[in-house]
Amino acid sequence: MTGRAIWKGNLHFGVIDIAVKLHTAVKEEHIQFHLLHKKDHLKLKQQMICAHEKVPVPPEEQIRGFKQDDGRYVLVTPSELEEILPQDSRVISILEFVKTSQIDPRYITRSYYLEPDNPSRAYLTLAAALTDLDVEGICTWTMRKRSYLGALQMSGKILRLNTLRYADEVVPVSSLDLPHMSISEKELHIASDLISHLTASFEPQKFENEHEKKLRQLIDKKARGEKIVILRPRRLKPTSPDKLLQTLEASLKKVA
Amino acid sequence: MAMQSIWSGTISFSLVAIPVQLVRAVEPGRVSFRLLHTKDYSPLSRRMFCPREEKMVEPEDIIRGYEIGPDKYITVTDEELESVSPERSRTIEIVEFVDLKDIDSIYYDHPYYLVPSKGGEKAYQLLAEVMRRTNKAGLAKFVMGEREYLVAIKNIEGALSLITLHYSEEILPDDDILPGASPIETLETARMKKIIKEMTADFNPAEYANERRKSILTLLKKKAKKQPPVTPPDIEDDEEGPVDLVAALEASMRKVKKNR
Repeated sequence: MTGRAIWKGNLHFGVIDIAVKLHTAVKEEHIQFHLLHKKDHLKLKQQMICAHEKVPVPPEEQIRGFKQDDGRYVLVTPSELEEILPQDSRVISILEFVKTSQIDPRYITRSYYLEPDNPSRAYLTLAAALTDLDVEGICTWTMRKRSYLGALQMSGKILRLNTLRYADEVVPVSSLDLPHMSISEKELHIASDLISHLTASFEPQKFENEHEKKLRQLIDKKARGEKIVILRPRRLKPTSPDKLLQTLEASLKKVA
Repeated sequence: MAMQSIWSGTISFSLVAIPVQLVRAVEPGRVSFRLLHTKDYSPLSRRMFCPREEKMVEPEDIIRGYEIGPDKYITVTDEELESVSPERSRTIEIVEFVDLKDIDSIYYDHPYYLVPSKGGEKAYQLLAEVMRRTNKAGLAKFVMGEREYLVAIKNIEGALSLITLHYSEEILPDDDILPGASPIETLETARMKKIIKEMTADFNPAEYANERRKSILTLLKKKAKKQPPVTPPDIEDDEEGPVDLVAALEASMRKVKKNR
């Protein structure tokens, strides 16, 4: 069951307007730990600490600054920021459409379902068009005084809106300084064969969070005062570059 | 540029094992702000604080606890945590490969990069290249800190990117908000497709300039002219900006262990 709609808006492009309601599409749940002081198991608090004096700083002594290239900071007050906050509107503007295959997953943050606000022929028409052309709409909108960028997609039964990061928030691959190695066509060919044998259809429901269950068992054991056996994590021996080809061949023999 | 390692271990597929480190793929944008102390403008950092002693607490004096009642906790050490799933705490085992186009984007959670450790550069590039040629991603599970992640590993611009996925039970059902009718081909669909085709372009994130970013940069330019920018005291500031506290804590706890 989805919850109540968290927001209402209008998809807009050209002369087309489609009223929609946003619902969150994902609900994460996992065991949460608190951070405690080892000495007395007192729950610790998060505080803003001054790097210089190493003491906590109350909110009234805090100010926002933007770091310039020369290391100096431009100070900005909350009221100055408030003035440039975008105005709330209900419009989700579609700027352009892109092929689904081009959407880079590094940019995707959250997903929302879009429920048609009232029985809408335009909604169904847009859904059909997006499916046929295999494209997504790149949109911008303002929700609760924040600007968002997103991708509108059709997922078989319902329209979805995935919020996207901005380009300057994604670490560029070039900064990783990856070395360039030479790989033989033979190695690539065998690896490709191996991967074909290990290929399956995408069925995420077959993957369960087993660790969560085991974690609860650990906590129960400790609560009963039982001793916990410490196991060292398994460390695999890395495949050395000169053994790569024979390891690939041995792997292929195993799965073929 | 040396990246801070979040996790180190091995990725494997069949008998091939590649030593790697996990690094961030997301960083604060160009217009993120830092909180400063009004007194001397030194940058502030988030730290854990003992409310009773009113003192900052170092990572080696911190333990995680699971709350079982008011102020009652079961503590769990790093070693006990790693003992829960020892086979998955240092190894990302790719169990299968899937076609990229079959991964529904609703599953994507958070992106990271893998970088090869010494000796693993060739095998790393082999895996990246073969996944690029075959348009596939590897699916695996691994444990990092307190959680087990289902992940997809794919080639992005020659690097291996690891994207954590949501488990299927975390995807909320949409049955009760469905349109109630199937999309149908009509004359209107043909017209709409024509408009969409005219509006189709290549995915270019750098172009989708943030209105907020533009207006903030304008504000900053004006402000810098009105009031001269301040210089913080010369101290070691080891933070780039807003940091995931738990990840930073785990990283410093590992550093402390290594130095013992």
